Amino acid sequence: MTLLRLEDVGKSYGGVAALRGLSFAVGPGEIVGLMGANGAGKTTAFSLIAGTQRPSEGRIWFDGKRIDGKPAYAVARLGIARTFQIVRPFAGLTVIDNLVIAALYGRLRERSRGAAEARAREILAEVGLAADATRPAETLTLAGRKRLEVARAVAAGPRLLLLDEVLAGLTASEVAEALDMIRALHRRRRLTLVVIEHVMRALTQLCQRIIVLHHGAKIAEGSPAEVVVDQRVIDAYLGTRKL
Amino acid sequence: MTRQGWQTGLVLVAATALAAALPLALGTYSLGVALDLMMWIALAESWAMFSGLSGYVSLGHAVFYGVGAYVTVLLWQVLPLWFSVPLGGLTAAALALLLGWPCLRVRGPYFVILTLGISEFIKYAVISTEAALGRNGRLLIGTPSLTVLFEAMLALAVLSMAVLQIVRSARLGAGLLAIREDEVAAEAVGINATAVKLSAFAMSAFIPGMVGGLMILRSTYFEPMQAFSPTTSFTIVTVAILGGSDTVAGPLLGSLFLVLLSELLWTRAPEVYMIILGVLLVAFVLFVPEGLVGRAGRFLRAPKPGPSSRDHRAVVIEP
Repeated sequence: MTLLRLEDVGKSYGGVAALRGLSFAVGPGEIVGLMGANGAGKTTAFSLIAGTQRPSEGRIWFDGKRIDGKPAYAVARLGIARTFQIVRPFAGLTVIDNLVIAALYGRLRERSRGAAEARAREILAEVGLAADATRPAETLTLAGRKRLEVARAVAAGPRLLLLDEVLAGLTASEVAEALDMIRALHRRRRLTLVVIEHVMRALTQLCQRIIVLHHGAKIAEGSPAEVVVDQRVIDAYLGTRKL
Repeated sequence: MTRQGWQTGLVLVAATALAAALPLALGTYSLGVALDLMMWIALAESWAMFSGLSGYVSLGHAVFYGVGAYVTVLLWQVLPLWFSVPLGGLTAAALALLLGWPCLRVRGPYFVILTLGISEFIKYAVISTEAALGRNGRLLIGTPSLTVLFEAMLALAVLSMAVLQIVRSARLGAGLLAIREDEVAAEAVGINATAVKLSAFAMSAFIPGMVGGLMILRSTYFEPMQAFSPTTSFTIVTVAILGGSDTVAGPLLGSLFLVLLSELLWTRAPEVYMIILGVLLVAFVLFVPEGLVGRAGRFLRAPKPGPSSRDHRAVVIEP
């Protein structure tokens, strides 16, 4: 069974192809990693899935429905939530209001502010931000903002969560804590995750399957153990030796 | 509703009842000032409902005021006023939907300039239409008394405050605040930004349309340059800057401050009162950018250290 399926998806900006013929599928409950160097097309793939951008070619299916070309809000209401590589909290609002808004408008569309607040508090406790509920989001540390970004996405009630470099810029201990948080959310909320990450060790610990992009095209797909020894991945990441 | 909510509600009902009795106590001049006060409250609260919450600063609300006035004038002695004035409001709301579709695609200074430009464009379109019809102004004879107009304007002022309060605590208000903070992130959590902005823009035009209808009955003379004057838009924004623009109390305090100060300066220093008002406005932008309500809130919170000092939701709009 497939929750998300991409078929020959491509995106061009003018004459430059950011993504070419990308196809993959994600099953319910899976944690799939998207790996690649800067400019490989990872975030572009996220933007196309989440409806932030329209694909130039190809088709995207979510839960049996075609979603390519749908606006971001419609995709979110269907049950896909994303985080942003450069975090985008509602900075002037309180931490809890960030989540309340997502709960009011996301897939679950909570009927009242009270219900939305109850859901928000539950999620804040799960991500370790309960004590910061009434703080303005702009006063959080980077690690706090990253947690908030994940928490807000979860508050929208997604079935598929796209995490874009939520570990970037964190210290080693913060990365470990964040990984625990993501695993706990995945288990408790029965989420399906697609994760972009540069922290290789984290990606191999977290994901059941990894897809590797290079110059906008998929060059490898498999278990973490398979991918890290794949010659194409080694060549793409480390380059080839010239004799 | 909380106990504090009930108390606030009771105070507002009592204040409204007291205001409704003002015609019994005030002379014509003072009642005229009170009518002006109610007008600015109604206009500024309506403006804040959209611009204060969304961060899209409209400098074109004069067009809704003018269109409401024009509809009322065109239907004068054709339809009863209880019908034509609300119809002016509906026409203004419909115009907001029409203008909002292209204008709300841009934001920041582009939106500000666009709304001002379109407002001026429509003003000159009405002037040309009136000239083509051979009209150099329209006189309205037999308009309602000042007392009737005051009571109607008071009702609009109260209605505008109620609408802002309801929207603030409703899903729509949450959507507008999210759009103000980050529109891309707002869409990513399921907010249809176009629909939210358009509906709020149309709602915020409805009451100004009716206000325009009532005020043209007060002046008894319709002249497009006056009815569509951009000064109306500038004054609304001034009121919001003075009082604060994302709470009900902000536009209320700003209107009180501006109207009373204008009256004081106008009677005491008629030659320089606009200069003083201008300097005051610049001073507010520089030193009290959060407005009177924001500053008062900060002052009240300041002595309390600990978590409660961080307990704020409302934030200031960057005009």
